[in-house]
Amino acid sequence: MAKCMIPGAAIRGIFSAVPSRRFDNFEDASGFTAEEVRKVVGMAGVRSRRLAGESVCSSDLCLAAAESLLEKVGWERDSVDALIMVTQSPDYLLPSTACLLQAKLRLPTSCAAFDVGLGCSGYPYGLYLGALMISHGGIRRALVLHGETPARFADESDRSVSLLFGDAGSATALEVEPSESALPWAFVLHTDGTGYEDLIIPGGGFRERFPEDRRKHYVSMNGPNIFSFSIKRVPAVIQDTLALAGTTKEEVDYYILHQSNQFIMKHLAKKLGIPEEKMPLTLGDFGNTGGPSVPLTVTRAGLARPPDRPLSLLLVGYGVGLSWGSALVGLAPEAALGHVELENRD
Amino acid sequence: MTKDTDEILAWVADIFETPLEKIRPETKRDEIEAWDSLGILTLIARMDEDYHILLTDEEIQRLRSVGDIIDFLHRRDANPGP
Repeated sequence: MAKCMIPGAAIRGIFSAVPSRRFDNFEDASGFTAEEVRKVVGMAGVRSRRLAGESVCSSDLCLAAAESLLEKVGWERDSVDALIMVTQSPDYLLPSTACLLQAKLRLPTSCAAFDVGLGCSGYPYGLYLGALMISHGGIRRALVLHGETPARFADESDRSVSLLFGDAGSATALEVEPSESALPWAFVLHTDGTGYEDLIIPGGGFRERFPEDRRKHYVSMNGPNIFSFSIKRVPAVIQDTLALAGTTKEEVDYYILHQSNQFIMKHLAKKLGIPEEKMPLTLGDFGNTGGPSVPLTVTRAGLARPPDRPLSLLLVGYGVGLSWGSALVGLAPEAALGHVELENRD
Repeated sequence: MTKDTDEILAWVADIFETPLEKIRPETKRDEIEAWDSLGILTLIARMDEDYHILLTDEEIQRLRSVGDIIDFLHRRDANPGP
């Protein structure tokens, strides 16, 4: 059972990045009647989104976030021992996007760099791997990058996804935590691959390399199944994480959930008895940006941070895979949070 | 406790924001305008909230009329939520 506590790692900073191009669902959505847009926005909660366009990749967004983050935390490039890139929208099928980013960030060749192929659930998994590597010894500083461009793989004529997705990247700086009084982080990570078809891009991989049907290159989503999955799995993983950490629902400062859909998130908040102010929503301005919506929400939700103790954050990712996981972590008062915009190139 | 059929009819009318007189057991899914892809999400949410039932994909597919919902709830002998 993938449940564990990991001591000895700290978040030094989290930066997010979005494209500068803003798409207003009310003003810019063609091919939909005003009533259709009103209905979809009313449920999903996405008023506007940031779009990467054809020339910006998730790696570009992560690069922008990581550059600003490294500058802010003052890390020498040579001091970074590991880079983990979590994405389902890589630049290429091969090589790993992490290798490109190691070079673009001018990290040393002594740096371990690899991709993790997870989407909506990716942030807790990325933090788990980074924290584990640091806790095990040898790695003192790690960058966990998580970026996705879901709007680029959404078919604009598909009403189930076209008004929902936005693009974003993020970078998180993890470092050895020397203080023994810091609480270990709690992780619970799960998978149900029987639902792999509920959120899938069927074409382009090696199962179906060059499908003639163009639609197979776009994402296909079974909304009702994803919703049922979410309301079944998310409350349980949150409760399991709290139990593992030996804490209570009330002691968590914020529940930062993957920004899937406002309707789903409000239902989850109600089901869990979590006040809405403890479960911030940022998808109104950015859309569902996949797993990076978790770090994006940490940087953009205007979290109230006490000056004298770490903020207790329960970070939850769930979706494509089907895969889900949560991480209960502390965010020290001095940890840097920031957000940048990347100019579109086309 | 099995829900009374009239209560379920009122519950369905509330979910799909449709006048109760238009909701009969024989009413088909495509005769209820709001029973669309978004309406299905509301139905799933209310099943969870009010009856603590998490619908499976197969169950969602099988609900094609108001009568199907009534039969489903009667079969599950669902308990109303708090």
